[in-house]
Formats: sequence, structure tokens, C-alpha cells
Amino acid sequence: MPSNLFVLEVNKTHPEAKELCTLLLRIGTLLMTSGSNTERIRKTIQRISTSFDYKAELVINHRSVLLSLENENGDQVYTSLKRTGQHGVNFRILSGISRMSWTVIEEHWTVDQINEELDRLQALPHFPRIAVLLFVSLAGASFCRVAGGLIPDMIFAFIATFAGLFVRQELVKRLFNTYLCVFFAAFAATLVAGMGYKLGIADPGNHGFVTSVLFLIPGVPLINSFSDLIDGNIQTGIIRGINSLIYSFAIALGLLASMFIYQM
Amino acid sequence: MESLLFISTFIQHVNYFLLGILPTAVIDFLPVAEKFIWCGFAAVGFAVLFNVPARTLVFIGILGGLGGFTKFFLIRFGVSDVFAPFCGSAVIGLLSIPFAHYKHAPPPVFYIPALIPMIPGVFAYRMMLGMIKLVGNTQPADYEQVLQSTINNGLKVLFIILGLSVGAVIPMLVTRRDSVKDLKTSIFFDRRDD
Repeated sequence: MPSNLFVLEVNKTHPEAKELCTLLLRIGTLLMTSGSNTERIRKTIQRISTSFDYKAELVINHRSVLLSLENENGDQVYTSLKRTGQHGVNFRILSGISRMSWTVIEEHWTVDQINEELDRLQALPHFPRIAVLLFVSLAGASFCRVAGGLIPDMIFAFIATFAGLFVRQELVKRLFNTYLCVFFAAFAATLVAGMGYKLGIADPGNHGFVTSVLFLIPGVPLINSFSDLIDGNIQTGIIRGINSLIYSFAIALGLLASMFIYQM
Repeated sequence: MESLLFISTFIQHVNYFLLGILPTAVIDFLPVAEKFIWCGFAAVGFAVLFNVPARTLVFIGILGGLGGFTKFFLIRFGVSDVFAPFCGSAVIGLLSIPFAHYKHAPPPVFYIPALIPMIPGVFAYRMMLGMIKLVGNTQPADYEQVLQSTINNGLKVLFIILGLSVGAVIPMLVTRRDSVKDLKTSIFFDRRDD
């Protein structure tokens, strides 16, 4: 009997393993898209699978997770693969799953209970859009101040960040390419920031131009990239690093485009 | 325009007033202390962008402020541009663990937004400008100088980011635990039975 046929045969005889595998893959892909590092995904999935007396072996990639379950006799009972969705940082899901994974062990939750909890976590509200815009713009003004800007520079950094983030949100809603969204956001932000120089209000020496695009820096992929490399997950580390490099390129292109327009 | 001008002159007057009444040691220290506030605001802005649980927002602000304060405090005393952010991120990484226990959220939720104000945006910008100059410039006269500053800025960016991410995971690397749940922090906070 060919080995893959054997696996299929065994898959049929363990319906609860199939359910558990689907659940664990859902958790893994959710964690991957919401900005967790690779080691955390592996630990969380293994923690939950031990609560059901199964052993999980994993291959974790940037866009897919492959999971194989072994029962206590050491038989490989189910293997499945799931592709991740669109990446978008959401620490509320990260935090919720982390808390849940400990409760699962303590209170011996069933698969259905965990699925319900995941549904609840995914339905959790985001911050209101206007709050996000205002807080991130405040962060842009703060960046400008930290880099040595004065009040007029800070005001322009605030408005520029607001405009850039607004453009980005609108483009993301219309399902543009991710890097293109970043490019247009950087372009919009620097167009507004450059206006301050043209009107003679802001001072070019105070870095208002560059700090207005800092809200676009891919902080989560960048830091996760290095922490993956430190943990020894070299492959995902390199992928995340190159991903953040492309983001930085998109930001630089947007900046260049408006520098060309303003002839700076 | 006029109101803007008014605000800035007003702040200047307040500054002169403060200069008159405060001892010089405090005045020397004020610009560094001010970074605490702005780094904190920047961290909170990114926390909102990353959609953290609302209960952690204040603590992320404090962490970001402390990290930025540590960095600028050390730079003020002549520590290098690479080592100072590393120390700042080590402070953030260490404090993120008691906060994680106290607010029941994993440490990355605290340390990633708090680290972002320290990402070297200005150095990266200078490196990029240098690269553009290198593409357009074939004059041997100032080519070497531009090349030197571009490589210098680029290496600073690389090592600062490396230092930031190493600093934040220092507690995990040193204690060799699988999860921060195993680290005892009851000295700081009352732990729930977990």
C-alpha cells in the first residue's frame, strides 16, 4: 500500500483528530497573520495539542502552515495544510489566543469551545477609525519633535501623517496591492509635508519631511524578523526581513516622487 | 499663521521664565526629560495602529517613554548611537514582563509598539539620500565622501535595529524559559494563581 494512501485511510478513522487539526491550523494561521513570531506560534499550537493528548509537528511558513498530529502511540493520525489570509497586525487576537491557550489546559476545553472563543476574538471591534487617525498623527508629530522639530514642523507632520494614513486606509479598503498602498501613502504624506517648506512655515532642517512617513515603517515584520533569526527560524526570519525591505523601498519611492515634484 | 507665531513666541517666553528660576542642572536635563513624553505618545500611536487591547495602552506609553528616555539620557552622556538604543530596548524588554503578568497580555504586545519610536528613521533617510546621490554622481571628487557617509548611516540602521530586537528578548535569552508565565514577578505585582 502506498504511504500517502495509508495516511488517507487513517485520516478517516480519526474524526476527532481531523477536527483538532483544523482548529490548530486556524489558530496557527490567525497568529501568523496578526503578527506573532514563529516560535510563539509553535509553542501555542503544541501547548493546545498536548491538552488533547496529541503531539503536533509543524512547518510554519509566511503564507502557509503545515501540521501533522501524532497520537500517544506515536501513529501519525492526521496531516493537513492551510494557507494564511491577508497579513494585518492585530495584537488583540494575539493577546486573546495567548490567554486562551492557558485556560484550555486548566479547564480542559473542547474543540467547539475553542472555536467559539476564536469566533469571539475575530469579532472583537477595532479602535474607531477617527481615533486611529488622530493617535497615529499624534505619533507622527511626536516623531518630528524627537528628531528636533519645532511647533510648525510638528503641525505639518501631524497633518501629513493624517493624510497619508487616510490614503492608505482607503486603498487597503479597495484591495490594492499592499506595497502600492504604502507607496501612495508615503507620496501623499510627503506631498503635504513638502507644502510646509514651500509656504515657508516649516524648516527643512528639522526633519518634518522624513518623520511624516515614519508611521509606514514595517515595525512588526522588522522586529519579528530579527527575533525569528535569533530563535533559529532562519527561513521565516529571512522572508520577513525581505518583506520589510520591500515596504521600505515603497516608502523611499513615495518620498522620492514628491522630492522630484518639489525639486528638493 | 499669526496664531502660530503667537504660540511659538509664548512658548519662548515661558522658556525664558523657566531659565530664570530653575537651576542649571535641571535645565540641562529638561530636553531629555521631554523625550519621555514624545516617545510615549509615539508608542501609543503605534499601539492603536496595531489594535492592542485597550487595557494595555497606558502601560505601552510608559514603556515607550522609559525606553526613549534611557536612550537619550545615555546619548547625553556620550554613549554611542548604537549602544544607547540597545540599552533602551533592554529596559523595555525587562519591564514588559511584569506588565505582561499584571495586564494578562503577552510581552510582544508591550514591547513591539514601545520599540518603534527608537527605529532610526533619520539615519535610514540619510542612507537613502546617499544612495540616490551615488547613483547620479560619477564625479570622483566627492564620490568617496558620499560613499563613506552612506555606508556609515546604513550600518548604523542595521545594527540599531539588530540591537533593538536583541535587547527586547534579553529576559527570555538569559533565563532560558519557554514562556514568561514561568518567570516569577511577584516582587512587583500580586500574581493571580497562574
